[in-house]
Amino acid sequence: MENEEVALSSNPNPNLLVADPSLQKKHQSMLDRLSNRHQTRLDNSLTRRSAESDSSASPSFESTSNFLSRFSNSKSSIESQLAQCRLCDPTQVKSHLDQISSSISDLEKLVAENSYFLPSYEVRSSLKTTSDLRQSLEVLSAELLPKKKFSFRNKPTRKDPIAEPKEEEKEQEPEKKSGFRVPDSPGFWNKKGEILVHNFKGSEVGEFSISDLDSCEVRLMGSVRALFVHRLRNCRLYTGPVTGSVLVDGVEGCVFVMASHQIRIHNAKTSDFYLRVRSRPIIEDSCGVRFAPYCLTYKGIEEELREASLDKETEKWSNVDDFLWLRAVQSPNWSILPENERLGLVDISKSVES
Amino acid sequence: MGLLSIIRKIKRKEKEIRILMVGLDNSGKTTIVLRINGEDTSVVSPTLGFNIKTIIYQKYTLNIWDVGGQKTIRSYWRNYFEQTDGLVWVVDSSDLRRLEDCKAELDNLLKEERLSGSSLLILANKQDIKGALTPEEIAKVLNLEAMDKTRHWQIVGCSAFTGEGLLEGFDWLVQDIASRIYVLD
Repeated sequence: MENEEVALSSNPNPNLLVADPSLQKKHQSMLDRLSNRHQTRLDNSLTRRSAESDSSASPSFESTSNFLSRFSNSKSSIESQLAQCRLCDPTQVKSHLDQISSSISDLEKLVAENSYFLPSYEVRSSLKTTSDLRQSLEVLSAELLPKKKFSFRNKPTRKDPIAEPKEEEKEQEPEKKSGFRVPDSPGFWNKKGEILVHNFKGSEVGEFSISDLDSCEVRLMGSVRALFVHRLRNCRLYTGPVTGSVLVDGVEGCVFVMASHQIRIHNAKTSDFYLRVRSRPIIEDSCGVRFAPYCLTYKGIEEELREASLDKETEKWSNVDDFLWLRAVQSPNWSILPENERLGLVDISKSVES
Repeated sequence: MGLLSIIRKIKRKEKEIRILMVGLDNSGKTTIVLRINGEDTSVVSPTLGFNIKTIIYQKYTLNIWDVGGQKTIRSYWRNYFEQTDGLVWVVDSSDLRRLEDCKAELDNLLKEERLSGSSLLILANKQDIKGALTPEEIAKVLNLEAMDKTRHWQIVGCSAFTGEGLLEGFDWLVQDIASRIYVLD
């Protein structure tokens, strides 16, 4: 090890030094630390010795009387400093108080350092004195430097790292919402007392919406994948085959003639449904709804129904599931429309032509 | 050895995965399950209650719980939350009017503590219907990016009608669950 050190320090070849700079650095810093520590130790012992010689009350090292005199000197100096505090310039009060505080700390340290040889009574009384001094300092500083009232306030200079992303989110959210608008689907809306006709044949309409109609007649020909019906009053709706599903929500006093693979009826009141459906139709939150078989015709409907696999009568129209009536007995919310009250065959192609 | 650890052992041995399918009514949950199981989808009645399908998928046994989505029976969904490894939220991408309902129901569901550890697959169904929103648009409407960062989730466009996208979605779900529960071998 020693040889290595010598080699390192006396090596004239700089390449070798460069070869392991990290080791050299470590070595150097260790030496620095050691010398620093040694220096502080020397300084401390010197100051201690000089302080002892200054007080010179007793040359002996572990002397109780020596300690007591030093203690009482510091104590009286702190007390006088405390007294001066009230008279000094208010702008300097703070630094003055800090100085007193550090003097008290020194005094506490002195007690602690000498406590190992002092009689326990002296230790206790000295500690009591320092804590009294500390307390009177606190009283004084509370008097001279009134605490700022606690309050929340904005710090414009230094942003809170946690609050920041929240603010961004708040800014972004409305943007996101306004940035994306659900497009309108094809359909009929907001009409009153009209006859609305649409033929899907040859067009590429996937889903079709019918909503907010009052006293209208809607005739849909050709087949469509999905049909949404929402908020209709006193309307008649005739449709060709729907190859997906029909969703009816919120209708009153209407007549529906529909063919579909699936039909769901929500919030319907006093309405009649003439259905051809491949699965069981369902009702939910409905009352006074009546069911009958499909009775629609127009030019080419047979072929369209066949293509949609809706050409055969499945009798499912009479097999209704009521989600609010999960019992074996017949639900009071729906019934089969008596034959003598049913519509005859409705031909919508004729009325369109005329 | 407690009962729970015995059950865990059996589960690990058989590599069982429990999947809960939920979503609004008319979103196509039952049709999706029938489609991935290779069954006839031409006659599907709205689900009154629930269906359970056990499907062998890769080397895992999937227990798929397909729960009816009608409003009146949504409150029963919670009876199926326990032990759910994977959650499939099915969206009717062509039902533009009820997207807000869809978002509200999903948000509600994700608050459920018992589902906090489950992987979430969102199926933007009915992509074959013209006018349907794309999976990206559905993700925006449902604000999926704002979801809890610890959640494993994925959105996949699909069509139960054509079968497109279903395998992709379930592949992701099974892989994600497997890598969490069973060490992939």
